[in-house]
Amino acid sequence: MAKKIPQKNIRNFCIVAHIDHGKSTLADRMLEVTGTVQKREMKAQLLDDMELERSRGITIKARSVAMRYKLKGQEYELNLIDTPGHVDFHYEVSRALICCEGALLLADAFQGVEAQTVANGYAAMEHDLKIVPVINKVDLVNARVDQVKEELEQTLAVDPDEVMPVSAKTGVGVEDLLQSIVANIPPPEGDPEATLQAMVFDSLYDAYRGAIIYVRIMNGTVKKGQKIKLLRKGTTHEVVELGQFAPKREAREELCAGQVGYLICNIKSLDDVHIGDTVSVIGNDAAEPLEGYQEPKRMVYCGLYPSDGQDFEELRDALTKLAINDPSFEFEPETSDALGFGFRCGFLGLLHMEIVQQRLEQEADVDLVQTAPNVTYEIVDQNGNVNEIHKPQDVPDSGKISEFRQPIVRVNMVQPEEYIGSVMKLCGERRGIHVRTEYLSPTRMMLTYDIPLAEVIYDLHDKLKSATRGYGTMDYELRGYEQADLVRMDILVNGKKVDALAIICNRADADRRGRSVVKKLKNEIDRHMFEVAVQAAIGTRVIARETVKAMRKNVTAKCYGGDISRKRKLWQKQKEGKKRMKSIGRVDIPQKAFMAVLDTGDDKGK
Amino acid sequence: MNNSALTFTPPRSVYVHVPFCKHRCGYCDFTVVENRLDLETSFLQAIETELSWLETPRPVDTVFIGGGTPTEMSPAGLTKLFELLGDWFPREQGGSASESSEFSVEANPDGLTAEKVAILHDHGVNRLSLGAQSFNNEKLQSLDRQHSAKDVANALQLARETFPQVSLDLIFAAPGESLASWREDLEAAIQSGVDHVSTYGLTFEKGTSFWSQMNHGTMVVVDESLQRDMYLLTIDLLTTAGFEHYEISNFARPGSAGNNRCRHNEVYWTGGSWFAIGPGASRFVDGTRSTNHRSTTAYLNRVLKGESPVAESEPLDAEMIARERLVFGLRRIEGINIAEFNEHAGFDLESLAGPAIQEFCELGLLEPSDGNLRLTRKGLLVSDSLWPDLL
Repeated sequence: MAKKIPQKNIRNFCIVAHIDHGKSTLADRMLEVTGTVQKREMKAQLLDDMELERSRGITIKARSVAMRYKLKGQEYELNLIDTPGHVDFHYEVSRALICCEGALLLADAFQGVEAQTVANGYAAMEHDLKIVPVINKVDLVNARVDQVKEELEQTLAVDPDEVMPVSAKTGVGVEDLLQSIVANIPPPEGDPEATLQAMVFDSLYDAYRGAIIYVRIMNGTVKKGQKIKLLRKGTTHEVVELGQFAPKREAREELCAGQVGYLICNIKSLDDVHIGDTVSVIGNDAAEPLEGYQEPKRMVYCGLYPSDGQDFEELRDALTKLAINDPSFEFEPETSDALGFGFRCGFLGLLHMEIVQQRLEQEADVDLVQTAPNVTYEIVDQNGNVNEIHKPQDVPDSGKISEFRQPIVRVNMVQPEEYIGSVMKLCGERRGIHVRTEYLSPTRMMLTYDIPLAEVIYDLHDKLKSATRGYGTMDYELRGYEQADLVRMDILVNGKKVDALAIICNRADADRRGRSVVKKLKNEIDRHMFEVAVQAAIGTRVIARETVKAMRKNVTAKCYGGDISRKRKLWQKQKEGKKRMKSIGRVDIPQKAFMAVLDTGDDKGK
Repeated sequence: MNNSALTFTPPRSVYVHVPFCKHRCGYCDFTVVENRLDLETSFLQAIETELSWLETPRPVDTVFIGGGTPTEMSPAGLTKLFELLGDWFPREQGGSASESSEFSVEANPDGLTAEKVAILHDHGVNRLSLGAQSFNNEKLQSLDRQHSAKDVANALQLARETFPQVSLDLIFAAPGESLASWREDLEAAIQSGVDHVSTYGLTFEKGTSFWSQMNHGTMVVVDESLQRDMYLLTIDLLTTAGFEHYEISNFARPGSAGNNRCRHNEVYWTGGSWFAIGPGASRFVDGTRSTNHRSTTAYLNRVLKGESPVAESEPLDAEMIARERLVFGLRRIEGINIAEFNEHAGFDLESLAGPAIQEFCELGLLEPSDGNLRLTRKGLLVSDSLWPDLL
């Protein structure tokens, strides 16, 4: 049993960084240097236990790990709360920040300050955390430590003398960093003798143990066997196990004010556990609820349909299972004329959407058709009521709309100076409004634009990367809703409106988008035994048309004894392929085509 | 209805594969060994062994020896092969192929000597299928064939003097071919006086030299719409000349002795069963489709060691048998007889594929005709797009 650590020897901190700046590697190294994990047990990205996190090299879920560290005869408990770095998981970052007193602000010695370094750095400051600036990868031959220090000073007012140089890969500077954490990050406050008050900052569902609740104890002490209350719903539970992650779950007898750990209380459903909820004692003497988190706002929606209508229930089960450990993801059943029964799903952003889809494919064996993602719009009707619109099909006739609004995000883009021109052009094309331009250093600049989210979600990140030879980085936050001249564009296949292909776009872009979408669809739809017309229309006005010509000849000549089973298998395979397509009238539309509407028409003339 | 309830009548047909060829043509992906007549003795031994596994002689109505180039074998080898087949697959002798039994052999125009023709004739071969492919030297070259137009003429004369039935194989859509050039081939075929023509659009099969040339862009595939015109011209010219178009690629000119169709191939298309002997050969016996190893040497090794040469085997359930019968039956121009199908296939056509058939009829691709269901001309041209929905 681990010795009890006095509160003054506890340090709670997180690492904030731009993606790929080495956060997980630094965490790995600290686990090793503190002896929390033996070298032979070490594997890369130790804290990322989702297979997807490892394969993509990113952190998706927050988690914590307690490390013991001896310095000058004293033993310290260092609690690292790991957080995702990607913009879609902003809310996870802020959850982690509430549980910490300090933050390591990590920047890559070559890449320097990037968009998310700034965004996450600001967030840590807003939470009054003590910032320990760290420059990682100082062993790189092209490391430019001094310039990065300057960038940190310029953007986040970091004192260059406080910056700790490390190489998480080789371990250089990690020992010094640990000492700096002890010296500079204040110990947690809070009275171990006061009434229990703990913040739920995450939860996980374990098939054997039920809900595992991640908590930071703000005040008081929680003991094994104690009865607790979750204040939001007022439900009471008995703590059957509590402990810390080191990095595997290790049971303890108690957790005191300032500590971070987990509670297991035989809670069978995560529905009963709210992130941001407060844990306290039962009875009338419960502590005041802590200020919770804002429910994350789902900004991107898309339809997910089983390729095979038979798999609807399987898809529902898979989505339910996923949502258990990912409260930021939501779904509800919807029906499409074209696609049958499926679900409209809400995500924090595009990366989140991609991850959910990959997990569905990996963890559940369901073949999916995904419709093009869209943002949440607002429509004010004639009576002044504001309605949220999650899918294009729900947009009423133009006569019933008094105002059509779309979400606007403030986008920060960091890149070397020489790419400023192409990035500004890109933002202009995306209807961006310039907010400001800042120098981070003599050679690196940050551009800030307000851009409609719809213009951002699909490929702005890719386009930024290609406009800056991979050097540009971006981050965005929601600003609010603004009125815009938006229309619903319908796609018709052989005269039949295909609901799942409708999009919302700017009226001025409609012709270009329409032409580009029908062209793309023409290429996606195989030739049939008859001609197929693909049209784009606004209301009753057709704005673009393409024709998929009828098949002229498709006949196997030779078919003798040995060919029969081969041909039959080939045709059966084609039948399977057709089954995965969706039939509109008699036209088979391949799944890929449902993403064709994302074509922004940028590639015209190419 | 399940498989056990099906009764399979014993096959009355046999296919024999002879893999020898002087040269493998650039488009060919069949089981062929190039210039390996040194294997002839082991081949005959293997055939003899494989035949012995039949245990008792099986009387048949049709024999088809294909290849490869069967006539590439030595005179002695051919004689031995015919003797073995005569022992194990006895058939009614005499008369025309339509009247008693049909005995077909494939041959190439080059190397078809009078001596070999005589051996074929003496052993009862009554139908010769000549792999002419074209009457045009330039086209023959572009197809990587080794013979000349002159060889074709000579072989044709010899064959027509000897065999009651002669069939010509012709390829269209050869690289660079024009509609006019194809018309000349068709007219020459009509002039030649043969009773039967099989004609195929050139296909590019994976693993062939033509396939890689196509992928490297050094060989250009004839455009789909020209291919369509060539196929339509084939149908029009041959039927005007008195040929009956009886299967997608096959045409027969009825004569005094019968309709001159290839009876053996009709067995394949009407759901019949047959034995198969030789490397790469496929059979359909007792509801199971199986294929011998496609590598000639692997086939020889296995059989000579006493092991089964079968590389793939697939038992079909009653429904799949019925569906195959439907699809391959519809590839015959007269189509399927609905009443007969319902009676013999074990499934009612309506329950098997009613909605799809209904839809294809509405689209003008299939049509009912005198109790039959058949492809329309429009349907014929795109027929491969129909089969997935019927399987």
